[in-house]
Amino acid sequence: MAASYNFKKITVVPSATDFVDIVLSKTQRKTPTVIHKQYAIARIRQFYMRKVRYTQQNYHDKLSQILDDFPKLEDIHPFYADLMNVLYDKDHYKLALGQINMARHLIDNVAKDYVRLLKYGDSLYRCKTLKRAALGRMCTVMKRQKQSLEYLEQVRQHLSRLPTIDPNTRTLLICGFPNVGKSSFINTITRADVEVQPYAFTTKSLYVGHTDYRYLRWQVIDTPGILDHSLEERNTIEMQAITALAHLRAAVLYVMDISEQCGHNLHQQVELFNNIKPLFANKPLMIVTNKIDVIRREELSEENEACDQLLAYRVENKMRSKKVNSVLNRLHLSVPQQRDEKVRPPCIPEAVLQRKAAMDTDKPKKKTERDLELELEEDYVFDMKKRYDLKNAEDKYDPIPELWEGKNVADYIDADIMKKLEDLEKEEEMREAAGEYDSDMSDEDEETREIRSMAAKIRKKKKLIKMESDVRRKVQKPTLPRVARKDYNASEFKSQMEELGVDMADKDNAHFKRARSKTPTGLKRKREASTEAGSRARSRSVPAGKVPRDQSGIRDPQTQQKVKVIAKNAQKKMNQFGKAGESDRFIGTKMPKHLFAGKRKQGKTQRR
Amino acid sequence: MRVELNCPSRNRRIHTHTIFRFCRSKCHRAFKKKRNPRKVRWTKAFRKAAGKDLAVDASLEFEKRRNVPAKYNREQWKDTIKAMKRVEDIKSKRQAQFILNRLKKGKELQKEADIREVKQNISLIKSPAACTQKLEEKMAQVIQESDQEMAAE
Repeated sequence: MAASYNFKKITVVPSATDFVDIVLSKTQRKTPTVIHKQYAIARIRQFYMRKVRYTQQNYHDKLSQILDDFPKLEDIHPFYADLMNVLYDKDHYKLALGQINMARHLIDNVAKDYVRLLKYGDSLYRCKTLKRAALGRMCTVMKRQKQSLEYLEQVRQHLSRLPTIDPNTRTLLICGFPNVGKSSFINTITRADVEVQPYAFTTKSLYVGHTDYRYLRWQVIDTPGILDHSLEERNTIEMQAITALAHLRAAVLYVMDISEQCGHNLHQQVELFNNIKPLFANKPLMIVTNKIDVIRREELSEENEACDQLLAYRVENKMRSKKVNSVLNRLHLSVPQQRDEKVRPPCIPEAVLQRKAAMDTDKPKKKTERDLELELEEDYVFDMKKRYDLKNAEDKYDPIPELWEGKNVADYIDADIMKKLEDLEKEEEMREAAGEYDSDMSDEDEETREIRSMAAKIRKKKKLIKMESDVRRKVQKPTLPRVARKDYNASEFKSQMEELGVDMADKDNAHFKRARSKTPTGLKRKREASTEAGSRARSRSVPAGKVPRDQSGIRDPQTQQKVKVIAKNAQKKMNQFGKAGESDRFIGTKMPKHLFAGKRKQGKTQRR
Repeated sequence: MRVELNCPSRNRRIHTHTIFRFCRSKCHRAFKKKRNPRKVRWTKAFRKAAGKDLAVDASLEFEKRRNVPAKYNREQWKDTIKAMKRVEDIKSKRQAQFILNRLKKGKELQKEADIREVKQNISLIKSPAACTQKLEEKMAQVIQESDQEMAAE
């Protein structure tokens, strides 16, 4: 099975120098490049063998690609084979491809040999030179293919531009002398845009157009003109036409120019026709007379009536190739059989008929507002409301209320609104009767009110207490003990109790403090003695029996004197610096200048 | 002219042509912030959905958007206006009652709280001593009166 070729997808054939550049640069990029002579010899050999093999592989691949892509003339349709022969010369083509093949073979051999030699290279330098030689030889082989590569590139370019003629589909082939009007014909039938000029051989190659007939696609092929001489004398252009004629199974339109504007008289054209008759074997043939606008058939002189086969030219060709015939045989239009005499005409809707009738008759025109305006001139008032279609005509000019209290009146419009309203009213009455709307008086009696007021007072009092305690607690001052507080005395107590409603009028001699003191009685005797002296003066702030701080722990007045002196001395420094107490660590100046500036008398100033 | 309030926070109207109009910028801005009216507490949508306002009632069925306009008929419109006024009265009454009913529970709870408060903390405003004093006085008075009576007899 021959591989399918796509003439447009043949790989680009680079020129010889380009080819060499591509492959060598690829080798350089894709193989390791670093090698030193102190490496193990096996490694060095491996390194260079790799390069040689890589280059060989690349050449092989690229050349194989070229050889595969170019079509083999034996494998393609004979039409194309012949066409290529006509255009590119079969021998040259085959030769070029053969050269490429040979080159590939040679490169492979070179690589094989040098790899074998590299196996015995004993130094880096030797391996390197061997690799150089190998690559050099491969490249020389490629450089010698310069001509073939150029030729193949040109073939490729031209091949990709050939029109895609499908040799197997329905085709019409137009042939005839040069300048008879073949290209004009194809231009009219198809969307092809072939150049039409007054000189001969305007069309130099085959052109394809496509047209539709009977829901099928037809290829129409325009050929260059054929002159009347023998096959050997034909040039490349004519040969293309001949090739097409010879190989394509198409319907042939042989175009004749009756007006002889092409430069050849009818006789010559008939001669040509007879000469290429063998090419028309087995093909439906139609002879087309062209340029009948210039001269009509009847005006032809008698000597030219020798052509029996002249037919008139029609736009719709009744082309019948064998394929279409076979299709026609299988097609059949079926009509339902008449089962009774009832006539079944086509169905047209009433409205359509009416409209048709309306369109035909000339109705009297309605009087428009404009007419009225013109009539009344100054008195005319544009009154939109006069055409309103309401039940009562008087309602037309009513001012319609639209809003009420921010609500749209139109939202309430209802046919049975009154009935609904009645129902609603009834419901409302029932609700009122049931006592839904009665206000709840139970919570308004004396007792509840009293309770509420008392609860309010309680809450207020609570808040006050809370606020006071908050204030007291948040202050960070040293706190006095409770008994020393200002509001902790008898008169305060009395007033508070009176607020709460207790009668304190006759309570003058009441003893509001504790009967007995809390302080423990087991104290040292000496302390008791000393405290007795001082305790009379301190009746409130210090509980009885408690020793003042500056006298506690001192046995006799002499030590007390000493203690006093010591205490005063300790206080001196603090007082001098204005400190509040021993815990006051305030520093007046953090950086006194004499310590942080200036030179030193002796020693270093590294740190201050 | 027809007043079309489609402030989604006040009154939601669903439009096929999706034009929204707002009564004030507060609603407009909330809408732009993509707030869900059903979750924003001050909107009608929330109140109705959460049962804070009267939602289902016969009086609410009167105001409805009619998609088919009716032809003008003087009698009908007169009746409608009268009915409208009455309906509005009833509607507002019912709405108010609904809210009142809802708040009744709160009142009861408040009452109970007051009673509890008074029971617990009465001593903050009225000392128990005062009560006993008064009792004593009363008793003294009663004794006096009874003595006087005895004496009179």
